[in-house]
Amino acid sequence: MKPKTIVVCIKQVPETNEVTIDPQTHNLDRRGLAGIMNPFDKNAVEQALQLADQTPAKVVLLSMGPDDYAESLREGMAMGADAGYLLSDRAFAGADTLATGYVIAQAIKQIGEVDLVLFGRQAVDADTGQVGPIVAEFLHQPQITYAASLRLSGDNEITAERLLEDTKQTLVAQLPAVVTVRSELNTPRYPTPRNIQLSFEKPLTIWHHDDLDLDDSRLGQAGSPTIVTKVYEPKPTKRELTSLTGTPTEAASQLIKALKAHQLI
Amino acid sequence: MSKPELWVIAERRLDHVEPTTFQLLTKARQLAGDRFHTVAILFEATNDHLETELQPYAPDEIRIVRDDRFPTATDAEHADALAQLVAQYQPNSILFGATITGRSIAPRLQAKLLTGLTADCLDLRFDDETLVATKPSYGDNIMCEIICPDHRPQMATVRPNTFVAEPATGTAELTPVTVAFHPVERLQVKTATPVVNTATTVGDASRVVALGRGAANTATIDTATRLAEKLGGRIGVSRPLTDLDRFTHDDQIGQSGNTIHPDLILNFGISGAVQYLVGMQSAKTIVAVNSDSNAPIFDVADYGYVGDANAFMTALLAQFV
Repeated sequence: MKPKTIVVCIKQVPETNEVTIDPQTHNLDRRGLAGIMNPFDKNAVEQALQLADQTPAKVVLLSMGPDDYAESLREGMAMGADAGYLLSDRAFAGADTLATGYVIAQAIKQIGEVDLVLFGRQAVDADTGQVGPIVAEFLHQPQITYAASLRLSGDNEITAERLLEDTKQTLVAQLPAVVTVRSELNTPRYPTPRNIQLSFEKPLTIWHHDDLDLDDSRLGQAGSPTIVTKVYEPKPTKRELTSLTGTPTEAASQLIKALKAHQLI
Repeated sequence: MSKPELWVIAERRLDHVEPTTFQLLTKARQLAGDRFHTVAILFEATNDHLETELQPYAPDEIRIVRDDRFPTATDAEHADALAQLVAQYQPNSILFGATITGRSIAPRLQAKLLTGLTADCLDLRFDDETLVATKPSYGDNIMCEIICPDHRPQMATVRPNTFVAEPATGTAELTPVTVAFHPVERLQVKTATPVVNTATTVGDASRVVALGRGAANTATIDTATRLAEKLGGRIGVSRPLTDLDRFTHDDQIGQSGNTIHPDLILNFGISGAVQYLVGMQSAKTIVAVNSDSNAPIFDVADYGYVGDANAFMTALLAQFV
Protein backbone atom coordinates (compact mmCIF):
# COMPACT_ATOMS: atom_id res chain seq x y z
CA MET A 1 0.00 0.00 0.00
CA LYS A 2 1.28 3.42 -0.95
CA PRO A 3 2.01 5.65 2.05
CA LYS A 4 -0.51 8.46 2.51
CA THR A 5 0.43 12.11 2.25
CA ILE A 6 -1.12 14.26 4.94
CA VAL A 7 -0.70 18.03 4.64
CA VAL A 8 -1.21 20.13 7.76
CA CYS A 9 -1.73 23.86 7.12
CA ILE A 10 -0.34 26.00 9.90
CA LYS A 11 -0.15 29.69 10.66
CA GLN A 12 2.35 31.62 12.73
CA VAL A 13 0.74 34.02 15.22
CA PRO A 14 2.05 36.46 17.85
CA GLU A 15 2.89 34.82 21.17
CA THR A 16 0.19 36.87 22.90
CA ASN A 17 -3.08 38.53 21.95
CA GLU A 18 -2.26 41.53 24.14
CA VAL A 19 -1.60 43.80 21.18
CA THR A 20 -2.19 47.54 21.11
CA ILE A 21 -2.65 50.25 18.51
CA ASP A 22 0.11 52.76 17.83
CA PRO A 23 -1.61 56.10 18.58
CA GLN A 24 0.41 57.85 15.83
CA THR A 25 0.11 55.46 12.92
CA HIS A 26 -3.14 53.71 13.98
CA ASN A 27 -1.47 50.46 13.00
CA LEU A 28 -1.18 47.39 15.17
CA ASP A 29 1.88 47.56 17.37
CA ARG A 30 3.41 44.10 17.33
CA ARG A 31 6.94 45.14 18.14
CA GLY A 32 8.83 42.73 20.33
CA LEU A 33 6.24 39.97 19.98
CA ALA A 34 7.75 36.63 19.04
CA GLY A 35 5.94 34.34 16.62
CA ILE A 36 4.64 30.93 17.63
CA MET A 37 2.68 28.23 15.87
CA ASN A 38 -1.06 28.92 16.19
CA PRO A 39 -2.00 26.75 19.21
CA PHE A 40 -5.06 25.25 17.45
CA ASP A 41 -2.80 24.13 14.60
CA LYS A 42 -0.82 21.96 17.00
CA ASN A 43 -3.94 19.82 17.40
CA ALA A 44 -3.97 19.34 13.64
CA VAL A 45 -0.27 18.39 13.61
CA GLU A 46 -0.86 15.98 16.49
CA GLN A 47 -3.81 14.38 14.68
CA ALA A 48 -1.72 13.91 11.54
CA LEU A 49 1.03 12.25 13.58
CA GLN A 50 -1.51 9.94 15.24
CA LEU A 51 -2.91 8.96 11.83
CA ALA A 52 0.65 8.30 10.69
CA ASP A 53 0.97 5.89 13.62
CA GLN A 54 -2.11 4.10 12.30
CA THR A 55 -0.94 3.75 8.71
CA PRO A 56 2.25 4.51 6.77
CA ALA A 57 2.02 8.22 6.03
CA LYS A 58 4.15 11.24 5.36
CA VAL A 59 3.19 14.34 7.34
CA VAL A 60 3.91 17.56 5.46
CA LEU A 61 3.50 21.03 6.95
CA LEU A 62 2.43 23.98 4.83
CA SER A 63 2.41 27.64 5.75
CA MET A 64 2.21 30.98 3.97
CA GLY A 65 4.02 34.01 5.31
CA PRO A 66 7.35 35.80 5.58
CA ASP A 67 10.61 33.85 5.88
CA ASP A 68 10.57 33.89 9.69
CA TYR A 69 7.47 31.65 9.58
CA ALA A 70 10.03 28.88 9.06
CA GLU A 71 10.23 28.82 12.86
CA SER A 72 6.73 27.38 13.20
CA LEU A 73 7.48 24.82 10.53
CA ARG A 74 10.58 23.73 12.46
CA GLU A 75 8.47 23.54 15.60
CA GLY A 76 6.04 21.21 13.81
CA MET A 77 8.86 19.10 12.44
CA ALA A 78 10.27 18.86 15.97
CA MET A 79 6.89 17.42 16.99
CA GLY A 80 7.49 14.75 14.35
CA ALA A 81 6.30 16.03 10.96
CA ASP A 82 8.46 14.89 8.04
CA ALA A 83 8.78 17.98 5.87
CA GLY A 84 7.74 21.61 5.57
CA TYR A 85 6.82 24.01 2.79
CA LEU A 86 6.78 27.77 3.26
CA LEU A 87 5.00 29.91 0.67
CA SER A 88 6.82 33.18 0.88
CA ASP A 89 6.65 36.02 -1.60
CA ARG A 90 5.92 39.72 -1.55
CA ALA A 91 3.17 39.02 -4.08
CA PHE A 92 1.29 37.03 -1.39
CA ALA A 93 1.33 39.85 1.19
CA GLY A 94 -1.90 41.52 2.28
CA ALA A 95 -3.99 38.51 1.35
CA ASP A 96 -7.41 38.03 2.96
CA THR A 97 -8.88 34.57 3.52
CA LEU A 98 -9.87 34.12 -0.13
CA ALA A 99 -6.45 35.02 -1.58
CA THR A 100 -4.72 32.97 1.13
CA GLY A 101 -6.92 29.97 0.41
CA TYR A 102 -6.15 30.25 -3.30
CA VAL A 103 -2.36 30.13 -2.86
CA ILE A 104 -2.57 27.30 -0.34
CA ALA A 105 -4.83 25.28 -2.64
CA GLN A 106 -2.42 25.80 -5.54
CA ALA A 107 0.49 24.67 -3.33
CA ILE A 108 -1.40 21.53 -2.29
CA LYS A 109 -1.93 20.73 -5.97
CA GLN A 110 1.78 21.27 -6.54
CA ILE A 111 2.77 18.95 -3.67
CA GLY A 112 0.66 16.41 -5.52
CA GLU A 113 -1.25 13.26 -4.56
CA VAL A 114 -2.25 14.65 -1.19
CA ASP A 115 -4.71 12.33 0.56
CA LEU A 116 -5.76 14.48 3.49
CA VAL A 117 -5.46 18.17 4.37
CA LEU A 118 -5.81 19.17 8.02
CA PHE A 119 -6.37 22.59 9.58
CA GLY A 120 -6.72 23.81 13.16
CA ARG A 121 -10.18 25.17 13.91
CA GLN A 122 -9.07 28.80 13.50
CA ALA A 123 -6.09 31.06 14.07
CA VAL A 124 -6.08 32.76 17.46
CA ASP A 125 -5.14 36.15 15.98
CA ALA A 126 -7.61 36.61 13.14
CA ASP A 127 -10.16 34.07 14.40
CA THR A 128 -11.82 33.46 11.04
CA GLY A 129 -11.62 29.69 10.54
CA GLN A 130 -12.42 30.32 6.87
CA VAL A 131 -9.33 29.12 5.04
CA GLY A 132 -10.07 25.39 5.56
CA PRO A 133 -13.48 25.41 3.83
CA ILE A 134 -12.15 27.78 1.13
CA VAL A 135 -9.30 25.38 0.33
CA ALA A 136 -11.75 22.43 0.31
CA GLU A 137 -13.88 24.26 -2.25
CA PHE A 138 -10.91 25.20 -4.45
CA LEU A 139 -9.72 21.58 -4.38
CA HIS A 140 -13.30 20.32 -5.01
CA GLN A 141 -12.99 18.02 -2.01
CA PRO A 142 -15.40 17.07 0.74
CA GLN A 143 -14.94 18.99 3.99
CA ILE A 144 -15.48 18.02 7.60
CA THR A 145 -15.20 21.03 9.90
CA TYR A 146 -14.75 21.12 13.68
CA ALA A 147 -13.99 17.40 13.90
CA ALA A 148 -14.05 16.12 17.48
CA SER A 149 -12.46 12.81 16.49
CA LEU A 150 -10.83 11.51 13.36
CA ARG A 151 -9.56 8.08 12.30
CA LEU A 152 -8.80 6.09 9.19
CA SER A 153 -11.65 3.62 8.76
CA GLY A 154 -10.52 2.00 5.55
CA ASP A 155 -7.75 2.09 3.02
CA ASN A 156 -9.08 5.26 1.52
CA GLU A 157 -11.66 6.40 4.01
CA ILE A 158 -11.84 8.52 7.16
CA THR A 159 -14.49 8.62 9.87
CA ALA A 160 -14.98 11.73 11.95
CA GLU A 161 -17.28 12.86 14.68
CA ARG A 162 -18.56 16.38 14.50
CA LEU A 163 -20.22 18.13 17.37
CA LEU A 164 -22.74 20.72 16.25
CA GLU A 165 -24.57 22.87 18.79
CA ASP A 166 -27.40 20.35 19.07
CA THR A 167 -26.28 17.27 17.18
CA LYS A 168 -23.45 14.78 17.13
CA GLN A 169 -22.73 13.66 13.60
CA THR A 170 -20.65 10.75 12.40
CA LEU A 171 -19.31 11.41 8.93
CA VAL A 172 -17.47 9.14 6.55
CA ALA A 173 -15.43 10.65 3.73
CA GLN A 174 -13.53 9.04 0.91
CA LEU A 175 -10.08 10.53 0.49
CA PRO A 176 -8.88 12.99 -0.56
CA ALA A 177 -10.65 15.29 1.89
CA VAL A 178 -10.16 18.41 3.99
CA VAL A 179 -10.73 18.33 7.75
CA THR A 180 -10.58 21.12 10.35
CA VAL A 181 -10.17 19.86 13.91
CA ARG A 182 -11.38 21.03 17.31
CA SER A 183 -8.82 21.53 20.04
CA GLU A 184 -10.64 18.99 22.25
CA LEU A 185 -9.72 16.01 20.09
CA ASN A 186 -6.17 15.51 21.36
CA THR A 187 -3.33 16.89 23.44
CA PRO A 188 -0.41 17.97 21.24
CA ARG A 189 2.87 16.24 22.04
CA TYR A 190 5.95 18.16 23.07
CA PRO A 191 9.02 17.97 20.87
CA THR A 192 11.62 15.59 22.33
CA PRO A 193 15.28 16.70 22.32
CA ARG A 194 15.99 14.04 19.72
CA ASN A 195 13.15 15.22 17.48
CA ILE A 196 14.32 18.80 17.82
CA GLN A 197 17.74 17.73 16.65
CA LEU A 198 16.26 15.67 13.81
CA SER A 199 14.05 18.57 12.70
CA PHE A 200 17.09 20.43 11.39
CA GLU A 201 17.85 17.55 9.02
CA LYS A 202 14.32 17.45 7.63
CA PRO A 203 13.60 19.22 4.34
CA LEU A 204 12.13 22.71 4.56
CA THR A 205 11.33 24.05 1.12
CA ILE A 206 10.55 27.67 0.41
CA TRP A 207 8.32 28.24 -2.59
CA HIS A 208 8.19 31.68 -4.14
CA HIS A 209 5.72 33.07 -6.64
CA ASP A 210 7.43 31.50 -9.67
CA ASP A 211 7.53 28.03 -8.10
CA LEU A 212 3.73 27.79 -8.22
CA ASP A 213 1.13 27.89 -10.97
CA LEU A 214 -0.69 31.11 -10.07
CA ASP A 215 -3.13 33.60 -11.55
CA ASP A 216 -1.65 36.94 -10.45
CA SER A 217 -5.03 38.63 -10.25
CA ARG A 218 -5.94 36.34 -7.35
CA LEU A 219 -2.90 37.11 -5.17
CA GLY A 220 -2.22 39.41 -2.26
CA GLN A 221 -4.15 42.63 -1.87
CA ALA A 222 -5.29 42.67 -5.49
CA GLY A 223 -6.84 39.23 -5.08
CA SER A 224 -8.52 40.08 -1.78
CA PRO A 225 -12.16 41.22 -1.97
CA THR A 226 -12.08 42.60 1.59
CA ILE A 227 -10.30 45.71 2.86
CA VAL A 228 -9.69 46.70 6.47
CA THR A 229 -10.71 50.36 6.70
CA LYS A 230 -10.29 50.94 10.43
CA VAL A 231 -8.50 49.27 13.34
CA TYR A 232 -9.20 50.29 16.93
CA GLU A 233 -9.18 49.12 20.52
CA PRO A 234 -12.67 48.64 21.89
CA LYS A 235 -13.54 50.99 24.73
CA PRO A 236 -16.05 49.64 27.22
CA THR A 237 -18.81 52.10 28.12
CA LYS A 238 -18.43 53.57 31.60
CA ARG A 239 -21.31 53.50 34.05
CA GLU A 240 -22.05 55.41 37.20
CA LEU A 241 -21.00 53.20 40.11
CA THR A 242 -23.03 52.88 43.29
CA SER A 243 -20.68 51.59 45.99
CA LEU A 244 -21.88 48.92 48.38
CA THR A 245 -20.29 49.50 51.76
CA GLY A 246 -19.69 48.00 55.18
CA THR A 247 -19.45 44.32 56.09
CA PRO A 248 -20.34 41.68 53.51
CA THR A 249 -23.72 41.27 55.24
CA GLU A 250 -24.44 44.99 55.10
CA ALA A 251 -23.31 45.26 51.49
CA ALA A 252 -25.35 42.20 50.47
CA SER A 253 -28.42 43.75 52.08
CA GLN A 254 -27.90 46.97 50.08
CA LEU A 255 -27.60 44.96 46.88
CA ILE A 256 -30.73 42.91 47.56
CA LYS A 257 -32.66 46.13 48.11
CA ALA A 258 -31.38 47.56 44.83
CA LEU A 259 -32.09 44.38 42.86
CA LYS A 260 -35.60 44.24 44.28
CA ALA A 261 -36.15 47.87 43.26
CA HIS A 262 -35.17 46.88 39.71
CA GLN A 263 -37.40 43.80 39.91
CA LEU A 264 -34.38 41.62 39.27
CA ILE A 265 -35.16 39.36 42.22
CA MET B 1 -35.46 49.76 -10.16
CA SER B 2 -35.90 47.08 -7.55
CA LYS B 3 -34.22 47.44 -4.17
CA PRO B 4 -30.96 45.64 -3.44
CA GLU B 5 -31.53 42.45 -1.45
CA LEU B 6 -30.23 41.81 2.06
CA TRP B 7 -30.37 38.11 2.89
CA VAL B 8 -30.39 36.25 6.16
CA ILE B 9 -29.72 32.52 5.91
CA ALA B 10 -32.08 30.79 8.34
CA GLU B 11 -30.33 28.08 10.29
CA ARG B 12 -32.05 25.01 11.57
CA ARG B 13 -31.47 23.56 15.00
CA LEU B 14 -33.24 20.21 15.37
CA ASP B 15 -36.90 20.93 14.60
CA HIS B 16 -36.66 24.67 15.09
CA VAL B 17 -34.97 27.78 13.75
CA GLU B 18 -31.71 28.65 15.48
CA PRO B 19 -32.17 31.84 17.61
CA THR B 20 -29.32 33.74 15.91
CA THR B 21 -31.50 33.79 12.79
CA PHE B 22 -34.13 35.90 14.62
CA GLN B 23 -31.42 38.27 15.87
CA LEU B 24 -30.15 38.70 12.29
CA LEU B 25 -33.65 39.25 10.88
CA THR B 26 -34.18 42.00 13.45
CA LYS B 27 -30.87 43.64 12.61
CA ALA B 28 -31.52 43.27 8.89
CA ARG B 29 -34.82 45.17 9.22
CA GLN B 30 -33.07 47.97 11.11
CA LEU B 31 -30.29 48.16 8.52
CA ALA B 32 -32.66 47.98 5.58
CA GLY B 33 -35.00 50.85 6.33
CA ASP B 34 -36.77 51.32 3.01
CA ARG B 35 -33.54 51.01 1.02
CA PHE B 36 -33.16 47.23 1.02
CA HIS B 37 -35.44 44.27 0.44
CA THR B 38 -34.89 41.86 3.34
CA VAL B 39 -35.11 38.17 2.53
CA ALA B 40 -34.90 35.12 4.77
CA ILE B 41 -33.63 32.04 2.96
CA LEU B 42 -35.06 28.84 4.43
CA PHE B 43 -34.31 25.24 3.55
CA GLU B 44 -36.82 22.77 4.94
CA ALA B 45 -38.34 19.36 4.48
CA THR B 46 -41.63 19.09 2.57
CA ASN B 47 -43.65 18.68 5.76
CA ASP B 48 -41.91 21.45 7.73
CA HIS B 49 -43.35 24.88 8.36
CA LEU B 50 -40.44 26.69 9.95
CA GLU B 51 -41.48 29.88 8.13
CA THR B 52 -44.05 30.34 10.92
CA GLU B 53 -41.13 30.89 13.29
CA LEU B 54 -39.59 33.48 10.94
CA GLN B 55 -42.76 35.45 10.21
CA PRO B 56 -42.90 37.32 13.58
CA TYR B 57 -39.58 38.99 12.68
CA ALA B 58 -41.17 40.28 9.47
CA PRO B 59 -38.62 40.10 6.71
CA ASP B 60 -40.05 41.46 3.44
CA GLU B 61 -39.88 38.00 1.93
CA ILE B 62 -39.19 34.40 2.92
CA ARG B 63 -37.86 32.23 0.11
CA ILE B 64 -38.43 28.60 0.90
CA VAL B 65 -36.63 25.66 -0.64
CA ARG B 66 -38.64 22.52 0.20
CA ASP B 67 -36.61 19.36 -0.25
CA ASP B 68 -36.37 16.48 2.20
CA ARG B 69 -32.63 16.16 1.58
CA PHE B 70 -31.63 19.61 2.86
CA PRO B 71 -32.21 19.27 6.59
CA THR B 72 -29.40 16.69 6.68
CA ALA B 73 -27.33 18.03 3.76
CA THR B 74 -23.59 18.59 4.10
CA ASP B 75 -21.83 21.96 3.99
CA ALA B 76 -20.85 21.68 0.33
CA GLU B 77 -24.40 20.71 -0.69
CA HIS B 78 -25.81 23.72 1.14
CA ALA B 79 -23.19 26.01 -0.36
CA ASP B 80 -24.00 24.68 -3.82
CA ALA B 81 -27.73 25.36 -3.34
CA LEU B 82 -27.06 28.87 -2.04
CA ALA B 83 -24.78 29.60 -4.99
CA GLN B 84 -27.67 28.75 -7.32
CA LEU B 85 -29.96 31.17 -5.49
CA VAL B 86 -27.28 33.88 -5.55
CA ALA B 87 -26.92 33.45 -9.31
CA GLN B 88 -30.67 33.80 -9.71
CA TYR B 89 -31.35 36.78 -7.40
CA GLN B 90 -27.97 38.62 -7.17
CA PRO B 91 -28.29 39.77 -3.54
CA ASN B 92 -26.31 42.75 -2.27
CA SER B 93 -25.41 41.08 1.06
CA ILE B 94 -25.77 37.77 2.90
CA LEU B 95 -25.72 37.31 6.67
CA PHE B 96 -25.08 34.00 8.47
CA GLY B 97 -24.97 33.23 12.17
CA ALA B 98 -21.38 32.59 13.27
CA THR B 99 -22.43 29.18 14.55
CA ILE B 100 -20.51 26.03 13.68
CA THR B 101 -22.89 25.49 10.77
CA GLY B 102 -22.72 29.10 9.56
CA ARG B 103 -18.96 29.23 9.87
CA SER B 104 -18.68 26.03 7.81
CA ILE B 105 -21.09 26.83 4.97
CA ALA B 106 -20.34 30.55 4.52
CA PRO B 107 -16.63 30.24 3.56
CA ARG B 108 -17.44 27.36 1.22
CA LEU B 109 -19.99 29.62 -0.50
CA GLN B 110 -17.52 32.51 -0.46
CA ALA B 111 -15.01 30.42 -2.38
CA LYS B 112 -17.64 29.46 -4.96
CA LEU B 113 -18.62 33.09 -5.46
CA LEU B 114 -15.06 34.50 -5.17
CA THR B 115 -16.26 37.29 -2.92
CA GLY B 116 -15.48 38.67 0.56
CA LEU B 117 -16.62 37.18 3.87
CA THR B 118 -16.06 38.81 7.26
CA ALA B 119 -16.07 36.44 10.21
CA ASP B 120 -17.73 36.55 13.62
CA CYS B 121 -18.93 40.17 13.36
CA LEU B 122 -19.94 42.24 16.37
CA ASP B 123 -21.54 45.09 14.46
CA LEU B 124 -22.89 45.86 11.00
CA ARG B 125 -23.89 49.05 9.18
CA PHE B 126 -24.35 50.23 5.63
CA ASP B 127 -22.54 53.18 4.10
CA ASP B 128 -24.77 53.58 1.05
CA GLU B 129 -24.82 50.05 -0.29
CA THR B 130 -21.47 49.04 1.19
CA LEU B 131 -21.68 46.76 4.21
CA VAL B 132 -19.29 47.82 6.98
CA ALA B 133 -18.67 44.85 9.25
CA THR B 134 -16.93 45.11 12.62
CA LYS B 135 -14.78 42.09 13.26
CA PRO B 136 -12.90 41.32 16.46
CA SER B 137 -9.31 40.12 16.25
CA TYR B 138 -6.63 39.10 18.73
CA GLY B 139 -9.16 37.54 21.07
CA ASP B 140 -11.48 40.58 20.96
CA ASN B 141 -8.69 42.95 22.02
CA ILE B 142 -8.78 44.69 18.64
CA MET B 143 -11.71 45.62 16.42
CA CYS B 144 -11.45 45.98 12.63
CA GLU B 145 -13.95 47.55 10.26
CA ILE B 146 -13.96 45.58 7.04
CA ILE B 147 -15.62 46.30 3.72
CA CYS B 148 -15.90 44.42 0.45
CA PRO B 149 -16.16 47.31 -2.02
CA ASP B 150 -16.03 45.71 -5.46
CA HIS B 151 -17.47 42.21 -5.08
CA ARG B 152 -21.06 41.10 -4.57
CA PRO B 153 -22.59 39.66 -2.58
CA GLN B 154 -20.99 41.05 0.56
CA MET B 155 -20.98 38.34 3.21
CA ALA B 156 -20.65 38.21 6.98
CA THR B 157 -21.06 35.72 9.78
CA VAL B 158 -22.35 37.35 12.97
CA ARG B 159 -21.60 36.17 16.49
CA PRO B 160 -24.65 34.73 18.27
CA ASN B 161 -26.30 37.08 20.80
CA THR B 162 -24.68 40.17 19.27
CA PHE B 163 -28.10 41.59 18.41
CA VAL B 164 -31.38 41.29 20.27
CA ALA B 165 -34.29 39.64 18.47
CA GLU B 166 -37.43 41.76 18.49
CA PRO B 167 -40.68 40.76 16.79
CA ALA B 168 -41.94 43.34 14.30
CA THR B 169 -45.13 44.09 12.44
CA GLY B 170 -45.34 43.38 8.76
CA THR B 171 -46.26 40.47 6.55
CA ALA B 172 -43.56 38.46 4.90
CA GLU B 173 -44.27 37.37 1.36
CA LEU B 174 -43.76 33.58 1.12
CA THR B 175 -42.05 32.49 -2.09
CA PRO B 176 -41.37 28.84 -2.87
CA VAL B 177 -38.16 28.45 -4.87
CA THR B 178 -36.44 25.42 -6.33
CA VAL B 179 -32.79 24.56 -6.67
CA ALA B 180 -31.08 21.46 -8.00
CA PHE B 181 -29.70 19.20 -5.29
CA HIS B 182 -26.20 18.09 -6.21
CA PRO B 183 -25.16 15.34 -3.80
CA VAL B 184 -21.52 15.11 -2.71
CA GLU B 185 -20.87 11.41 -3.26
CA ARG B 186 -17.65 11.20 -1.28
CA LEU B 187 -19.08 12.35 2.06
CA GLN B 188 -21.85 10.61 3.96
CA VAL B 189 -23.50 11.58 7.23
CA LYS B 190 -23.75 8.11 8.84
CA THR B 191 -25.45 9.09 12.06
CA ALA B 192 -26.86 12.27 13.52
CA THR B 193 -27.80 12.06 17.18
CA PRO B 194 -29.45 14.95 19.00
CA VAL B 195 -27.30 15.98 21.91
CA VAL B 196 -29.59 16.14 24.91
CA ASN B 197 -28.37 19.31 26.47
CA THR B 198 -30.83 20.67 29.00
CA ALA B 199 -28.33 23.14 30.42
CA THR B 200 -28.58 26.51 28.77
CA THR B 201 -25.39 28.15 27.57
CA VAL B 202 -24.12 31.22 29.36
CA GLY B 203 -25.24 33.22 26.32
CA ASP B 204 -28.88 32.19 26.88
CA ALA B 205 -29.04 32.90 30.61
CA SER B 206 -30.86 36.01 31.83
CA ARG B 207 -28.92 35.93 35.12
CA VAL B 208 -25.22 35.17 35.23
CA VAL B 209 -22.85 34.64 38.14
CA ALA B 210 -19.42 35.26 36.62
CA LEU B 211 -16.20 34.05 38.21
CA GLY B 212 -12.62 35.10 37.57
CA ARG B 213 -9.15 34.45 38.86
CA GLY B 214 -10.02 36.02 42.23
CA ALA B 215 -12.88 33.58 42.77
CA ALA B 216 -11.30 30.35 41.57
CA ASN B 217 -11.06 28.21 44.69
CA THR B 218 -13.41 25.26 45.16
CA ALA B 219 -15.31 26.75 48.09
CA THR B 220 -16.05 29.96 46.20
CA ILE B 221 -17.13 28.08 43.09
CA ASP B 222 -19.47 25.92 45.20
CA THR B 223 -21.01 29.01 46.80
CA ALA B 224 -21.37 30.62 43.37
CA THR B 225 -23.11 27.50 42.05
CA ARG B 226 -25.69 27.72 44.85
CA LEU B 227 -26.14 31.44 44.16
CA ALA B 228 -26.66 30.82 40.44
CA GLU B 229 -29.30 28.16 41.25
CA LYS B 230 -31.04 30.53 43.62
CA LEU B 231 -31.15 33.25 40.95
CA GLY B 232 -32.29 30.81 38.27
CA GLY B 233 -29.16 31.69 36.39
CA ARG B 234 -25.93 30.18 35.24
CA ILE B 235 -22.23 30.34 36.00
CA GLY B 236 -19.96 32.06 33.49
CA VAL B 237 -16.20 32.41 33.71
CA SER B 238 -13.39 34.60 32.45
CA ARG B 239 -10.57 32.99 30.52
CA PRO B 240 -8.27 31.86 33.39
CA LEU B 241 -10.98 29.60 34.81
CA THR B 242 -11.40 27.67 31.57
CA ASP B 243 -8.20 25.87 32.61
CA LEU B 244 -10.15 24.23 35.46
CA ASP B 245 -11.70 20.85 34.71
CA ARG B 246 -15.21 21.93 35.63
CA PHE B 247 -15.37 24.71 33.02
CA THR B 248 -15.00 24.75 29.26
CA HIS B 249 -14.81 27.42 26.58
CA ASP B 250 -18.61 27.17 26.39
CA ASP B 251 -18.76 28.75 29.82
CA GLN B 252 -16.42 31.58 28.89
CA ILE B 253 -17.56 35.18 28.57
CA GLY B 254 -15.74 37.43 26.11
CA GLN B 255 -12.64 36.66 24.03
CA SER B 256 -13.94 34.69 21.04
CA GLY B 257 -16.35 33.16 23.48
CA ASN B 258 -19.82 34.22 24.34
CA THR B 259 -21.03 37.76 23.97
CA ILE B 260 -23.85 37.97 26.48
CA HIS B 261 -26.59 40.41 27.42
CA PRO B 262 -28.32 39.09 30.53
CA ASP B 263 -30.64 41.18 32.68
CA LEU B 264 -28.24 40.75 35.59
CA ILE B 265 -24.59 39.78 35.90
CA LEU B 266 -22.73 39.45 39.18
CA ASN B 267 -18.95 39.52 38.64
CA PHE B 268 -16.78 37.96 41.34
CA GLY B 269 -13.00 38.13 41.34
CA ILE B 270 -12.89 39.48 37.80
CA SER B 271 -10.56 42.41 37.28
CA GLY B 272 -11.93 43.18 33.81
CA ALA B 273 -9.75 42.67 30.74
CA VAL B 274 -11.00 44.69 27.76
CA GLN B 275 -12.35 41.68 25.85
CA TYR B 276 -14.20 40.51 28.94
CA LEU B 277 -15.81 43.91 29.50
CA VAL B 278 -16.79 44.16 25.85
CA GLY B 279 -18.28 40.66 26.04
CA MET B 280 -20.66 41.47 28.90
CA GLN B 281 -21.18 45.24 28.86
CA SER B 282 -24.64 44.96 27.29
CA ALA B 283 -25.95 43.41 30.51
CA LYS B 284 -28.79 45.53 31.91
CA THR B 285 -27.45 45.53 35.47
CA ILE B 286 -23.80 44.88 36.30
CA VAL B 287 -22.55 44.11 39.79
CA ALA B 288 -18.85 43.71 40.63
CA VAL B 289 -17.16 42.33 43.74
CA ASN B 290 -13.39 42.45 43.81
CA SER B 291 -10.75 42.80 46.49
CA ASP B 292 -8.86 45.34 44.36
CA SER B 293 -10.60 48.73 44.41
CA ASN B 294 -8.69 49.76 41.27
CA ALA B 295 -9.97 46.85 39.17
CA PRO B 296 -11.26 48.11 35.77
CA ILE B 297 -14.48 46.13 36.26
CA PHE B 298 -15.70 48.87 38.63
CA ASP B 299 -15.63 51.41 35.76
CA VAL B 300 -18.40 49.58 33.94
CA ALA B 301 -20.39 48.34 36.94
CA ASP B 302 -23.66 49.73 38.34
CA TYR B 303 -23.00 48.34 41.82
CA GLY B 304 -19.60 47.54 43.33
CA TYR B 305 -18.22 46.09 46.53
CA VAL B 306 -14.56 45.98 47.47
CA GLY B 307 -14.01 42.80 49.44
CA ASP B 308 -13.89 39.03 49.47
CA ALA B 309 -16.04 37.28 46.85
CA ASN B 310 -16.92 34.19 48.88
CA ALA B 311 -17.84 36.20 51.99
CA PHE B 312 -20.10 38.47 49.95
CA MET B 313 -21.81 35.59 48.15
CA THR B 314 -22.35 33.75 51.43
CA ALA B 315 -23.93 36.87 52.94
CA LEU B 316 -26.09 37.29 49.83
CA LEU B 317 -27.30 33.69 49.97
CA ALA B 318 -28.09 34.00 53.68
CA GLN B 319 -30.39 36.96 53.00
CA PHE B 320 -32.35 35.50 50.09
CA VAL B 321 -35.79 34.60 51.25
